[in-house]
Amino acid sequence: MASIALGGLFKSYGATPVVRGLSLDVREGELVSLLGPSGCGKTTTLRMLAGLEHPDSGVIRIGGETVTGPGVRVPPERRGLGMVFQSYAVWPHRSVEENVAYPLTLRRLAKAEVASRVKEALRWVRLEALATRRPHELSGGQLQRVALARALVASPRVLLLDEPLSNLDAALREELRAEIAALRARLGTTMVFVTHDQGEALALSDRIAVMNQGVIEQVDAPERLYREPATPFVAGFVGGANVLVGQVRDGAFHTAQGDTRFPLPPGTAAPDGPCTLVVRPEDLELGAEGTPLPLSARLFLGHAAEYRFPVGGTLLRVVGPPREVRAGEVLPVRIAKAKLFATG
Amino acid sequence: MKAASARWLGLGAWLVPILFFAVGPVGALLLRGTGAHGDAGLAWLASETGALGNTLGISAGAAALAFLLGAPLSLLLFRTDLPLRGAFTVLFTLPSAIPAFIWGMGWLSLASPRAGYLNRLLGDGAFDIYGPAGIAFVEGLSGLPLVLLAGAAALRRVDPALEEAARVCGASPLRALLTTTLPLALPSLLSGTVMVFLMAASSFGVPYLLGVSASPPTRVLTTRIYELVLLGGDAGLARASVLATALLLLTPLALLATWALGRSGRVRLSAGKGVASRLLPLGRARGSALVAVGLTCVLLVLLPLGAILLTSMQRSFGAELAWRELTLAHWSGVLLEPRTLRATGRSLLLAAGAGGLVCVLGLAAAVLQRSFRRLGAGVEALAVWPYAVPGTVVALALLLAFSRDLRFILLGRAAFVLALAHTPWLLLIAYAAKYLALGARNSAEALAQIDPSLAEAARVSGAGPVRAFVDAPLPLLRPALTVAFVLAFLACATEITMSVLLVPAGSEVLGTLLFELQSYADPAAAAVLACAFVALVVVGQSVLALVGRRTVEVR
Repeated sequence: MASIALGGLFKSYGATPVVRGLSLDVREGELVSLLGPSGCGKTTTLRMLAGLEHPDSGVIRIGGETVTGPGVRVPPERRGLGMVFQSYAVWPHRSVEENVAYPLTLRRLAKAEVASRVKEALRWVRLEALATRRPHELSGGQLQRVALARALVASPRVLLLDEPLSNLDAALREELRAEIAALRARLGTTMVFVTHDQGEALALSDRIAVMNQGVIEQVDAPERLYREPATPFVAGFVGGANVLVGQVRDGAFHTAQGDTRFPLPPGTAAPDGPCTLVVRPEDLELGAEGTPLPLSARLFLGHAAEYRFPVGGTLLRVVGPPREVRAGEVLPVRIAKAKLFATG
Repeated sequence: MKAASARWLGLGAWLVPILFFAVGPVGALLLRGTGAHGDAGLAWLASETGALGNTLGISAGAAALAFLLGAPLSLLLFRTDLPLRGAFTVLFTLPSAIPAFIWGMGWLSLASPRAGYLNRLLGDGAFDIYGPAGIAFVEGLSGLPLVLLAGAAALRRVDPALEEAARVCGASPLRALLTTTLPLALPSLLSGTVMVFLMAASSFGVPYLLGVSASPPTRVLTTRIYELVLLGGDAGLARASVLATALLLLTPLALLATWALGRSGRVRLSAGKGVASRLLPLGRARGSALVAVGLTCVLLVLLPLGAILLTSMQRSFGAELAWRELTLAHWSGVLLEPRTLRATGRSLLLAAGAGGLVCVLGLAAAVLQRSFRRLGAGVEALAVWPYAVPGTVVALALLLAFSRDLRFILLGRAAFVLALAHTPWLLLIAYAAKYLALGARNSAEALAQIDPSLAEAARVSGAGPVRAFVDAPLPLLRPALTVAFVLAFLACATEITMSVLLVPAGSEVLGTLLFELQSYADPAAAAVLACAFVALVVVGQSVLALVGRRTVEVR
C-alpha cells in the first residue's frame, strides 16, 4: 500500500499532446478512477504511472519515492506494482498457476512459498479448480481473473487496472466488478482504475478524476461529482446531462443556434451573458406550460420513456413517465432544474 | 533516455553486418558494373545480347508455362471438390522445395536425345530436353508452386458472397467461378507468374545442365557470368559484373510489376482472413478431372523423380532397361565415400550456421521493425531485399568484395585482417544474407500477432526488458523461428548456384559435389546424391508440417 502523487505531467506523441499538465494525489488504500472518453489520455496516464511510458515532463511519486522525474526513470519492474491489462495479457504458453507464479519466481521466493501464495491468490479470484488449465481453455472472465490474481500475488504497493471490464459481457462485468470491490475490502491495496464507463466508476471508486483532452476537469467523490459537476463536460459525461450553448437574457436561456427560448426556473443563478446550460433529462418536464418543441423520437425504457427534441443543433433528451405521443407532435418542454456555466 | 539509446545501439549493431556483408558488396558490384567501365562495358554488352535474349525468352516461356498450368490447377485444387486434392497439393508444391537442378537431372534422364528413358521407350529422338525450350520447360515446372500458392491465397480471400451473388443473378456454378472468382484471383496468379519469371532469370543450375552442353550451346546471363568468373582475370570479372548488373536490374522491374498487379487485385478482395467458401461440385466431370490431374501429376512430378531413382540404380546410364542391370553399387559407393561424407558434414554445418544466423538476425530485424515506426520499413526492406537478388549476383558480389584481404586498424593500435577469400566463411555469409528474408518475414509476421501487453505484463511483474522479452514473446515466436530455421537450413544444404562460385578448392559442399558429379563425371553417382537431397527435403517438409499442426493445437 502506498500513496501516489502525480505532478504536472505532460506527454505528447509527435505533435499530438495527449496529457497536458495533469496533477493528482491518491491516498494510501484509496481507489481512484480515471474516467473519460477514449483518447482523453487516461490510459497514457496509467502507463506513465506504471513506467511503460515516460512523460515529457512532470513528476511521479509512489509511496513518497520519486519514480519519474528530472533524471529519474525507475523501470516498471522496480516500481512494485501490479497491473491488469484491458487485453488480459495472460501468457498463452503458461498454465494458470505458472502465470500467477511468475512475479514471485522473479522475486526468487522459495518454491513452497510460491506454491502457497499462488494458491491463496487463486482462492481470492475463485480459480483454485482451474490452476493447471491453459489460457486457451478459459473464458474471458476467467482470463481476467487470472490477470487479477497475477497482479495481486506479489502484494503490490499499488494495483493499476486498465479498462479491466470492457472486454466482458454485461453479466460478467457486474460479477467481476463486485469481485474487485470485495478484493479491495479484503486487501486494502491502493488502486488506480481506468475506465470510460461512468457506471463502473461511480459504483467502485472512492474518488473519480474526470479527464477530458489530457487534463483533469474534476476530482471528487462519486456522489458529489454527480450532484455538483464543476464543468459542463463533467455534467454531460457523468450525469448524461443535456448541454446547450447559448446566452441568458431577461431570466430566460436562448440557444445560440436557432434562438429557442427556455424560461429558467426561479432561483437559478443566472446573470445575463453567454453561457452553457446543463440540464439532466429527468429535470425536464413535458406538459404544463413550456417551450413548444417538435418531438423527433420516443424511446420506451420500461419504467419511463425518453423523448428527443432537436434543439440548438443537438438532441434534447427528456426522461419522464411514458405517454402516448407520436413523433412529429409538438410538445411543451419546461426546465425544472438547471445549472448554468458562464462562458467567454 | 537509456531505452531510446539502447534502441539505436541495437539498430547500429544490426546494420553493421547487413551493410558490410550484403548491401555493400552488391552496391560495389553495381558501381563496378555501371560506372567504371562505362562505354566499353556497354559496347561489350551488345555482344552478349544472345545471353540476354536467351534469359528473357527462357524466363518468359517458363512463366507462361507456369501460368497456363497453374491457373487451372489452382482452381481445380482450391475451389472444386476434386478427390485427393490435399495429396495433389502436396505433390504439386514439391517442385519448389527441391532444387531445380535436380528436376533438370530428372528430365535429362527421361528425355536426353539418345539415352533418355522416354526416347528409348518411344523411339529415338522423340524428345530433346537440351536447349532453350527444355530449359524453359524445367524452369516452368519448378516454378509452378509459386503460381499455385499465390492462386491458393487469393482464392481463399475472395469473398464467397461475390460468387453467390453471381449465382443469384442466374449464372451456373462454373460460369460464376469463371466470371467472378477467377478475374479477382487473376492479379495474384499473375504476380506469382512474375515471380516465376524472376526465378527462371536468376536460375543457374538448369541452364548450365541443359544449355551449356547443348548443340549449339544455349547461354544465359547466369551461365555466362559463371564462365567469365572461371576464366578469371580483371577483364573477365569486369565483364561478369556488367552482366550481373543487367541481371540485377530485372529484379526491381519484376518486383514493380508484382506490386502493381497485387495492388490492383487487393482492392476487391475481402480483408478478412479465411472465409470458408463453398466448393464447386464437379459432378460428372469429377472422374475425368481426377484422371487428368492425376496423369499430370505423375508425368510432371513423379516421373522425373522416378527417373533419377532408376538412374541411381542402373549399372551405367544408357544401359539396357532390365532387372539384372539394377544394382545398389552406386549407393554404397557414393554414400560411404569419404569425399561425400566430408561434403555432407560441411554442408550440414554451414546450413545450421546459416540457419542460426538467419533466425537471430531475422528476429532482430523484426524487433527493430517494431520499435522504429518509420525506419522499420527500411529495416524490413534491407532484410528482405537480398532474397530477390539472383544467387549468381550475390556470389559474384561477395567474391569481388572480399577477393583481397581487408585490413582494419582499431584505435591506431590493434590491427586485424579479414581474409575471407577462398574460405567457407564466404559461403556462410552468402547463405545467411540470401535467406535472411525467411527469418525476418517469419518473425515479423509472428511478432505482429503478439500483443505488446504480454511483454508489458512481464515488466510490471518485475522482469527487466531482456528477461521480459525472453519470457513473454520469445516462447510464442518459437514455432515461427523453427519454420524459418528449417526453411533456411534446407535451402542452404541443397544450394548450388552460389556454392559453385564461392566454394574454395578442396572443401566441397553437397551442392557443388552434385554439380560436379552430374556435369563432369558420373550421372549415376549424381542421381544417388539427388535422391539423398530429395529425402532430406521430404524430412524437412515433414518437420514443418508437424510444427504447423502443433501451433494450430496451441491456439
